[in-house]
Amino acid sequence: MNEEQIKTLLQKADAAAGKPVFRRVTAAEIRRRLRRRWLARISVPVSAAAVALLATTLSIICMRAQKPEPQPQQIASLEVQVRQLQAQTDATLRLVREVLERDRQDRRLAALEAELASIPDPMREIDAQVDKTAFLRIYQADRLYKESNQTESAVEAYKEVIQLFPKNRWADVARERLSEIEHRQINKSDTKGETKCEPQNV
Amino acid sequence: MAAMAKISEEQALVERFRRGDDSAFDRIVERHAAEIAALANRLLGWPGDVDDVVQDVFVSAFLGLKRFRGECRLRTWLFTITVNKCRSHRFRRRRLRPVTMEEAQAVESPDRAGDQAAMDEETFARVRRAVHVLPQKYREVVILRYLQGLEVAEMGELLNMTVNSVQVRLNRARRRLREQLGDLLEEKS
Repeated sequence: MNEEQIKTLLQKADAAAGKPVFRRVTAAEIRRRLRRRWLARISVPVSAAAVALLATTLSIICMRAQKPEPQPQQIASLEVQVRQLQAQTDATLRLVREVLERDRQDRRLAALEAELASIPDPMREIDAQVDKTAFLRIYQADRLYKESNQTESAVEAYKEVIQLFPKNRWADVARERLSEIEHRQINKSDTKGETKCEPQNV
Repeated sequence: MAAMAKISEEQALVERFRRGDDSAFDRIVERHAAEIAALANRLLGWPGDVDDVVQDVFVSAFLGLKRFRGECRLRTWLFTITVNKCRSHRFRRRRLRPVTMEEAQAVESPDRAGDQAAMDEETFARVRRAVHVLPQKYREVVILRYLQGLEVAEMGELLNMTVNSVQVRLNRARRRLREQLGDLLEEKS
């Protein structure tokens, strides 16, 4: 069994199979085939791009159709609405400012009232000082009259209180003292006697 | 001298094609189409219809002929394209329909019944099946050497292998064939 035997056997088997079938090939046919292949290769992306472009265009057209251009009347109506809204906004702002101002004033008034409440009443102070001065003067006059027995000085002091503070209660006391002194001087001339005088409400 | 004249004529055709003369390509096709079809038919297992592969081979040749440098014979270059196209074709076909066990076993089950003609036909079919079920690397060298009649050096050039490697591969392929077809070869001897 040698190489020649294998070769012969293979060639006989090959010859028995017959000649293969194939079409005639030409350069023109190949060119046509290459053109078809090229078209097939570019047709898919080109078609896809065309479809995408068409879809985009359609969607844009649909979007524009859904949003019509505004008409002049609609513009005027919108302007009126805007003005009304502006007026409402201004009124609201004014009201808010007024409320805030009133609140600020109320708070200021309350603060002033509190401050005022903390200040003592000057009339009362004056009355108290007047009352004190009148009492002191009555007290001095009583001492002059009772302890030092200086009746004339005491009478002058009582008269001074009546003159300076006629409506004060110590003016009434001064009047009583003067009346007593008058009675006593009258009685002294009749009978000797003394009456004690003490300040009240000190 | 005749071979040299043929080579120079092929080079002239290639040059004419490069210059845009499509008729030169038609002439090349006319010269080599039968051989290309035969090689494709053998490499694909003698299916008979090899039109697709032949068309593909010449389309590739048409596209690549302008880059053909003439470092080998045009026939060898066309055979290289054919071998590569057949590999791709078989790979695609095998993915779709792998070789069945029945096909492989049919090589070893000769049917000796019937008359002489029928018996010969069966024998040759068995031989073709034996080649067909060989591994690709062995099938290619067997076909190129014994059916296409290529020299070992030319085969090495075509398959991008050294001469020694081609020889080793051929020996192994022959051993495989002997294993498959030993009875037929003994009968003949």
